[in-house]
Amino acid sequence: MPTFGIFRDIRKNKLLYVMLIPVLLYYVVFHYGPMYGAIIAFKDFSPRLGIWGSDWVGFEHFQTFFTGPYFWRTIKNTVLISLYQLVFGFPAPILLALLLNEVKQALFKRTVQTITYMPHFISLVVICGIIKDFTVSDGVVNDVIAFFGGERTTFLLEPSFFRSVYVSTGVWQHIGWGTIIFLAALTGIDQEQYEAAKIDGAGRWKQMTNVTIPGIMPTIIILLILDIGRMMNVGFEKIILLYNPGTYETADVISSYVYRVGLQDFNYSFSSAVGLFNSVINFILLICSNWLSRKFNDTSLW
Amino acid sequence: MGKYVNKKSFSMALSFVVASSVIVGCSTQETGKSSASPKASGAPTAAGAVYPISTQESLTSWEGIDTNLASFVPNLAESPFGQQLEKETGVKVKYTHPADGQSKEQFNLLIASNKLPDVIEYNWGGGGAMAYPGGPEKAIADKVILPLNALIDKQAPNLKKLLQQDKELDKMIKTDSGNYYAFPMIRPDNGLVFRGPMIRKDWLDELNLQVPQTIDEWYTVLKAFKEKKGASAPFTALYSNELNIQDAFIGAFKTANRFYIDDQGKVKYGPIDPQFKDALTLLRKWYAEGLLDKDFALNTDSKALDNKLMSDSAGATVGLLSGGMGRWMDTGKKKNPKFQLVAAPYPTLKKGERAFIGQRDFKYNPAASKAVSGDSKNAELAVKWLDYAYSEKGSLLFNFGIEGDSYKMVNNVPTFTEKITKNEKFNLQQMVSQYTKPNGPFLGDSRKSFNTFKEQDEAIKIWGETDAVKHVLPLFITPTVEESKELAKLNTAIGSYKEEMFVKFVMGKEPIEKFDEYVSRIKEMGIDKVVKINQDALDRYNKR
Repeated sequence: MPTFGIFRDIRKNKLLYVMLIPVLLYYVVFHYGPMYGAIIAFKDFSPRLGIWGSDWVGFEHFQTFFTGPYFWRTIKNTVLISLYQLVFGFPAPILLALLLNEVKQALFKRTVQTITYMPHFISLVVICGIIKDFTVSDGVVNDVIAFFGGERTTFLLEPSFFRSVYVSTGVWQHIGWGTIIFLAALTGIDQEQYEAAKIDGAGRWKQMTNVTIPGIMPTIIILLILDIGRMMNVGFEKIILLYNPGTYETADVISSYVYRVGLQDFNYSFSSAVGLFNSVINFILLICSNWLSRKFNDTSLW
Repeated sequence: MGKYVNKKSFSMALSFVVASSVIVGCSTQETGKSSASPKASGAPTAAGAVYPISTQESLTSWEGIDTNLASFVPNLAESPFGQQLEKETGVKVKYTHPADGQSKEQFNLLIASNKLPDVIEYNWGGGGAMAYPGGPEKAIADKVILPLNALIDKQAPNLKKLLQQDKELDKMIKTDSGNYYAFPMIRPDNGLVFRGPMIRKDWLDELNLQVPQTIDEWYTVLKAFKEKKGASAPFTALYSNELNIQDAFIGAFKTANRFYIDDQGKVKYGPIDPQFKDALTLLRKWYAEGLLDKDFALNTDSKALDNKLMSDSAGATVGLLSGGMGRWMDTGKKKNPKFQLVAAPYPTLKKGERAFIGQRDFKYNPAASKAVSGDSKNAELAVKWLDYAYSEKGSLLFNFGIEGDSYKMVNNVPTFTEKITKNEKFNLQQMVSQYTKPNGPFLGDSRKSFNTFKEQDEAIKIWGETDAVKHVLPLFITPTVEESKELAKLNTAIGSYKEEMFVKFVMGKEPIEKFDEYVSRIKEMGIDKVVKINQDALDRYNKR
């Protein structure tokens, strides 16, 4: 019996379980405790009356959001930006890791790694400042375009460019950092498999498709599931730093909307209703992707 | 579990305190009324505090710190002004300052934290995005701040006297139901107009052009700036949710980029006026021809604007009197001695017309006014401390600083000393910020001037020549608690949509033919309700 097993285990490893307590407490206090605050999504929250003192309003805030003018747009933008991030951002570090793996020159490999993961450590505010300065009508990017005879455009004022700017700069910033985990997974592959493949006459390409990629597949799948689970959480910081009314159309995602309405316009209840809705979708996505992965791949989070 | 019970009993105790204070508040309202009757007003009021007040208590205050001062000391208490104020009033105050540019977010968090300081300097009654949502009546109902009637009556003789003398001011700083809610920053009469269009005079002279007065003349001038001076953004302005060009050019079409009062005294929402389409068409044309800054929507901080003006990419803008014009002249002249900015009148369509609207503020500046928080255990002391700023001595300190140090009396006129005006390292504003409180609840002195150039003195006159008094919607109209709930729901969506469409129309991303569609969309979003609420509130305000 599994439960019986647990009790026996506790008796056996008392000290280990005692060491687990702080971790559990951390989650209870900082992650599950605040969850009761989600109730304000169903209340007409006034800070001075407190969470319990405020009036219940049921699903009114959800209704306002669902029927509001920005419901579909924020959902669409959130999904599209996440999707682009997933399609372009997720494979990028894998590709870079595979390429680096083929490089035999250690010095070159290390240089490339250092250069590519450096942007990860620059603060987002600075990154966005750089992006702005580079893409204004007399910025570097436009100078290059004008040099080749193209027309100057202020990229951050063009709704049609927002997602490309957002996703491509995201890839640039995180590609190097992302490779680290895959490179680690690569070192875990048994060298004998390569030897065996070589004996069977596999070239470098065949080695990669038949040994390397399957070798890091479990890592890829796990990270993919986690990424899908976070899909609706497009970070609002970068959006807010880069968008403006001219690009709301393609840039305004659920989290930036929540920020505007909630913190700026003081509508805590409404914004937590939207946030709650967002989390529910995330939860569903996570469950689904895990289920799919277990079904087709035998790899899953749980 | 124990914690929960504690919290509950604590909140019960708190609600009892709050409830009793409401009762006190109500009863005092009556006293307030009776004192307004002729018989009572003749009677001597309470003597008020004797300064310095001898007290062991100290106060806490949440207020913005002047950006100039912040570069000298991190806290107001450490500035010469703060120390002098403590000495003169005898009250020790612990100040907390929000980070620059984040006062709104930090204020909202402060309110949510439920631990309020004794006094809070914020926009309590000015409406708009930077104000307490729902207005002062809601703030009182939420127990965030106290109604001040009784306290002013008993502890604040200086302010009380001012309110009795100035009925207009009195009207501004109370709610419809007669509650006073804040200690106001009172602007002197010559401090009401401080923003408007300005233009490079040295360029005009060079091109043999006059300061433009009509929209057509502006077009000629901007075109010349672009073609003959090579300006990449002939007109630029700061952009933060509202494009600052609204004051300059939209008014020419007899509308505004916001709520305004029309000639019949009716509240109107400018952005859906038919004339607004003409204004948009103009801005759109200018944008397309490169007369308007191509990147205008990205100019969210003054840095971008400074760069454009100082690098000769722009020749005209809309800006502040000292923080803009004065500062740019200062820096500009260092690079190019000929650099000269002059004020241009708010343009009109026909020559000789008087501008429909322009910038004009009110005596009462709600953004820098202090309220006493609902939690304050030292409300009486706080009020006594605040009232000092309206006394003769206090007013001198707040406006001019420390006598003999930052100012001297010259023929009975307080005049800044050379230490302040001719400092080698720092400019006037930076020096003044250490010795006075540039913004805050006190009585402004018309003898104080930050102007360092004659162009600034002229600017005040030129920008003042508008009908703004008639058309600007008073900031101090107060919707009821119910109304403000409704407003909160409607305003965000409408404002956000309007702003988005405004930028798109100007940039040519949305065909101007869609204007009617845009208007009906805003109507669907409930603009009529918002207009009605504002109208009702205005009517009540007029009846106060």
